[in-house]
Amino acid sequence: MLVAILGYPIYYLVRLSFQKYDLFALLQHHGTYVGLANFRSILHDPVFWHTLLRTVVFTAANVGLTIVLGTLVALLLVRLATWVRLLVTAGLVLVWAMPPVVAVQVWQWMTNSENGVLNYILTKLHFGDFFQHNWYETTLSQYTMVTSLIVWGAIPFVAITVYAALSQVPHELVEAAEIDGARAWRVFKDVTLPVLMPVLLILTSLSIIWDFGAFTQPYLLIGPGHQTSDNYLMSTYLYIEGYTKTEFGTGAAISILMLAIVAALSVVYVRRMLRVGEQT
Amino acid sequence: MSRSRAARLGWNTLGLLLFAVMVFPVFWMVSTAFKTNDKIYSFNPTWFPGNPTLNHFSAAIHRPYFWTDVKNSAIVVALTVAIALALSFFAAVSLAKYRFTGRKLFIVLMIGIQMLPPAGLIIPLYVVLAKYNQVNKLSGVILVYLTFALPFCVWTLRGFLLGIPKDLEEAAMVDGSTRLGAFVRILLPLVAPGLVATSVFAFITSWNEYIFASTLLHDGRTQTITVWLSYLYGGNRFVDWGAIMAASTLIAIPVVIFFLLVQRRIAFGLTAGAVK
Repeated sequence: MLVAILGYPIYYLVRLSFQKYDLFALLQHHGTYVGLANFRSILHDPVFWHTLLRTVVFTAANVGLTIVLGTLVALLLVRLATWVRLLVTAGLVLVWAMPPVVAVQVWQWMTNSENGVLNYILTKLHFGDFFQHNWYETTLSQYTMVTSLIVWGAIPFVAITVYAALSQVPHELVEAAEIDGARAWRVFKDVTLPVLMPVLLILTSLSIIWDFGAFTQPYLLIGPGHQTSDNYLMSTYLYIEGYTKTEFGTGAAISILMLAIVAALSVVYVRRMLRVGEQT
Repeated sequence: MSRSRAARLGWNTLGLLLFAVMVFPVFWMVSTAFKTNDKIYSFNPTWFPGNPTLNHFSAAIHRPYFWTDVKNSAIVVALTVAIALALSFFAAVSLAKYRFTGRKLFIVLMIGIQMLPPAGLIIPLYVVLAKYNQVNKLSGVILVYLTFALPFCVWTLRGFLLGIPKDLEEAAMVDGSTRLGAFVRILLPLVAPGLVATSVFAFITSWNEYIFASTLLHDGRTQTITVWLSYLYGGNRFVDWGAIMAASTLIAIPVVIFFLLVQRRIAFGLTAGAVK
């Protein structure tokens, strides 16, 4: 039964992608078969390719920042006095618990051009004059904000997981390396990193999958009314083209292309979990 | 000695700085919610509310549809949790205790669904639910949330069940207990922490969910609270930040409370096997 619940939408998705299915079809409950026309028109549309490229760059930036900063935070946690560590961990959990829609509201408030606290702080710290600076003017600037929001929200999970994994690093080995005069970077690269590798691999593939499909943050932070072919990500692209414009067939075809890419990306994670699942 | 102490001081300072930066947005939300309007709209922000006011909270909860949408969220969350818990428990038992044909396919499908970006499934779910007249109804949303919550719940519960030695159950049966008796008295108490963890997970995901709620529910009377919040901003030239931050605080509170309860379990469920 579970299989049916999970499988049916996917079957339907494939069927839809071969149909012309607009609002009229939705009311009639059936579309007209058009073969590969949906795919052909998408793949011939430069907007699709630009969106794909933008999504890949966006994902790479977000995942890279999340993993690197998260790992650095975990490494810092080990070096802290107990009370500071507990404080920082509590802060991380608090951030982790913020609902995404709430976080978006807070970001909107902090970064608004009229009296956002971000402009105030940047000006006070002498980074330049940010008085009434509009962060949502260019696509790059918009996505700097979206990225800061996503990375901020994602660091806790990575940091806490890596911190747990760090306890598996053999103490004697680190000490021995230090006595032998190895520099901090060498110790990290040759002793700590190999132990962390499996965890980092999983965290990276999970982050790739999540960030590639990110929707709530870019859609709401940039604003539902400001989604254009100049700033689409795959998720907002399919949402606007498929749902908002009620061309469900086109939307389904974009979804399939997107899901295929995600499926390819998640092979590492699924294989790993499958190995865990084999235990009985 | 003094060198390592200086290093320690340096790390701790860095730690406190990190804490300040990470927590600042949350602090700013709560602080704004209690500030008076002249402080909120001042060009020179003040860090603390000074004379705290509850006006923004009362403005927020008296906005149209606040209570209706809180009620909708509560209904959706309660039913999703209850159904997910019941179904996933039996699925997890069969997965952990028995080898059946199609078991591998089942696992792949389960993990696969978890991996799919929700945005990719908006279209088919919308069309299918429209076909069965489930659009703009809470039942449709609950069905969708179940689809996404079940895999994680089954997976986590399975981990808990595996931790229980088989002999324990058998010993109870040898002692004259029926299968049901063994189940209720031995198995159930042992997986109770797992049931708590999964129900909290289902609670948080369905309370926080935005994409499906916003596509499937069309008006104020049927919306959930996250969709309600997303509509607070915009529309007017004047943005009532005090009320938005007060509402944000109220909506975050239940999640924060439940999250603190089970944060550990969730981290381990997602990376199971890699950490150990």
